[in-house]
Amino acid sequence: MTPAAADAVLEVNGLSYAYPNGRRALQDVSFSLARGEIVGIVGPSGAGKSTLLLHLNGLLPQRPQNGIPSSNGAAVRVNGLSVGGEHLAEVRRLVGFLFQDPDDQLFCPTVREDVAFGPLNLGLARADVESRIVESLAAVRLEGYERRSTLQLSLGERKRVCLAGVLACHPLILALDEPFSNLDPRARRTLIDVLRRFEGCQIIATHDLDLVAELCTRVLVLDEGKLRADGPTATILSDCGLMDRHGLEVPLRLQQKGGDCGRTDS
Amino acid sequence: MSEYLDRYGRAKSVCHRLPPRLKLLLSLAAITIGMLIPPAHWPAHGSLLCVLFAALSLARIPFRFVARRLAGFLLVVLMFGITVPLSQGFRGGWEMMAGIVFRGIESFLAGLWLVNVIPFDQLLSTLRHSGAPAILLAILAFMYRFVFVLWDELDKMRTARRARSFDRGGAIFRWRNAAQMIGMLLIRALGRSERVYGAMCARGWDGKLRTLDE
Repeated sequence: MTPAAADAVLEVNGLSYAYPNGRRALQDVSFSLARGEIVGIVGPSGAGKSTLLLHLNGLLPQRPQNGIPSSNGAAVRVNGLSVGGEHLAEVRRLVGFLFQDPDDQLFCPTVREDVAFGPLNLGLARADVESRIVESLAAVRLEGYERRSTLQLSLGERKRVCLAGVLACHPLILALDEPFSNLDPRARRTLIDVLRRFEGCQIIATHDLDLVAELCTRVLVLDEGKLRADGPTATILSDCGLMDRHGLEVPLRLQQKGGDCGRTDS
Repeated sequence: MSEYLDRYGRAKSVCHRLPPRLKLLLSLAAITIGMLIPPAHWPAHGSLLCVLFAALSLARIPFRFVARRLAGFLLVVLMFGITVPLSQGFRGGWEMMAGIVFRGIESFLAGLWLVNVIPFDQLLSTLRHSGAPAILLAILAFMYRFVFVLWDELDKMRTARRARSFDRGGAIFRWRNAAQMIGMLLIRALGRSERVYGAMCARGWDGKLRTLDE
């Protein structure tokens, strides 16, 4: 299932990372993503999902610890470019990162200014920035929201404005950290539909396994910083033993199709 | 919470119809006049306060709204002001303190009037076109955005505290709790600032502020 290196838009080879307090967050993680692939990263809380995503566009500093780098930027390559150093700006354009909490990502007073932040930093001309604002807000179904204050949006709207800000940079890969947390069913459905229309690669860290079953073609299981499984969604998510070992549950839709995993809950 | 200070920024009144730059100039003029009036000239300070209250009334900003915000502001100003008579001596100190308080009230009311007759994004745009430094505008924009986020976090912590304090009284108990909450809020603010910086870097921030109005 792992794509050949030549087709890969994202390659992670032996990535390890330790936080400054010494806690190992990632240990020898390797995988690659082919163009257009939608991959879910699942695992219990504290498994290293967000830490892994933060490495994809160099957001975690590579601090040496006792002379040994805590992570190796060369271990991550995006479209053939190693993350860090001279390629950092280009890598950050290629990888659009959606943070879990939209309040971390919306820092401008109005929607228009926030969506324009990335394109302006790319050095685009004013007319191009304006067209990207319109195009990105249309992509997330928020036409006409340009003048709205970022303080007066619902959670679902804030998440979609964040996504518009990311899409406005025309990324090759979307890295999404818990994009559906705390959303009501309608907002969740709208966001799923928006993501379905994105033609690039997506890597989604989430606890929402039903969503993974619906949206992703491939799943990575991460636990205690190690990659425990990598394979097609249906195979991984319906493996009761694997799911149970890593604190996960077979999603309802797969339980109905593939049995009840031998559960005898009353 | 997001409308705590500028709830009437998009309302309609004679004041709201004034050109944005004139609103800014009027507000700055009131602050400057307040600063230039010597501390002991109470009739002049009183007259300026009357003008400011009239302007707030003309902008249809309810008195209760103004009084509540002013009370919060006064609490902070008095807390600092009280140190003046304690350090400078009571005779001249009280007068100096009254001068600080009056000027503070005048500046606060002028600022409150300004943010309630012009939406904040337009105010930033007006400041930008008036030549205000970009870094100052960036700080104002961030402050406006995140002061409410932090206030909401404080509100959540207060609710959580109330849910588990079981009405246990005592000023010392309450003050100790308040100090703990402020400490936690500072830690959370630091965490938030790191995440926001990460989000900015993720969208190409290189330390140079670029705006749509350039």
